[in-house]
Amino acid sequence: MEEIKIQSDKPSEEDFSNINLRLLDLSDVDDFLEWAMDPKVCQFCSWDTFTSKEQAMAYIADFIVPHPWFRAICLGDRAIGTISVLQNPGIGDSCRGEVGYVLGSKYWGKGIATRAVKMVAADIFVEWPHLERLEALVDVDNKGSQRVLEKAGFVREGVLRKYFLQKGRARDMVIFSLLSTDSQVNYFMYS
Amino acid sequence: MEDPSSPTTITLRPFRTTDVDDFISWVGDDRVTRWIRWSTITSKEEVLTFIKEVCIPHPWRRSICVDDRSIGFISIFPGSGDDRCKADIGYGLAVKYWGQGITTRAVKMALSQVFKDFPGIIRLQAFADVENKASQRVLEKAGFLKEGHLRKYTYIKGDLKDLFVYSFLSTDTIPHPLDP
Repeated sequence: MEEIKIQSDKPSEEDFSNINLRLLDLSDVDDFLEWAMDPKVCQFCSWDTFTSKEQAMAYIADFIVPHPWFRAICLGDRAIGTISVLQNPGIGDSCRGEVGYVLGSKYWGKGIATRAVKMVAADIFVEWPHLERLEALVDVDNKGSQRVLEKAGFVREGVLRKYFLQKGRARDMVIFSLLSTDSQVNYFMYS
Repeated sequence: MEDPSSPTTITLRPFRTTDVDDFISWVGDDRVTRWIRWSTITSKEEVLTFIKEVCIPHPWRRSICVDDRSIGFISIFPGSGDDRCKADIGYGLAVKYWGQGITTRAVKMALSQVFKDFPGIIRLQAFADVENKASQRVLEKAGFLKEGHLRKYTYIKGDLKDLFVYSFLSTDTIPHPLDP
């Protein structure tokens, strides 16, 4: 898999525009636990906070490594979050992919997730030529994540009531989409 | 009070193998299958197989009937796993019965039944092609809420479709079956 790098003139750990996406593996487990044990991070996720290194390593080995499209969001070589795309398996539905992401809470508010989503959007339509639509579902209360998608050029299509069972509760979800033909994607590919 | 100009009494019941001749009269019509994933079927053998192997074992598929004769279908598809709080609804009706509010009535009848048959379902959802005005009217009259326009959402018969998504929750009010 290729690495996508965006380099600024003076790369440094504090340069939050210098993020890259790469595969995540077992050696990233300590960095993984930094966000995976943070209740602020998993508040809107389907999973509960991780409680042990063993649990994290099993998750990385059994879920992340075999995943069709899963990347660590990195500053330098340090993983600070993840982003993934899942292709819809249904008949006639393979034109859709769903993007999801998590980011360590100390990196919130710096445009990192927006940058990561834009990078994925530019790459995924090329890697998967059959993909027409990238969508995302965000809890109605998760305003930060909604802003990420809006800044990344996604269209807010509506609110799906009681759409998703999150930790046993049915939640209203905002649905966003970005099409391969949307101008944001083309702009980013050539900029 | 039933509208005297539209006295048709409709019932919903499971499909039977004896419905073949009535079934083929509407499933053999491109106008009925145009917006849905079903293929038009014109062979009696295929229809019989379809009734036996798909319609009868289906978790919830009913024949829309007039005088116990099949004039269409209505289906509820419950989700599983993470989607178990949701179900999809779909329907189709013979062309000669269009424009009389029959499908709307059938959907209302299904609404009054489905949350009892599937107590875990919180959300019933429906997708209508943005060009299928008739189906959109059915859902609106049956009390569904239009939630949004899903762009390039799915392929139906080789065409990439924009769909409107609608929902009806277990907590929503079911309109009276005879309300207009």
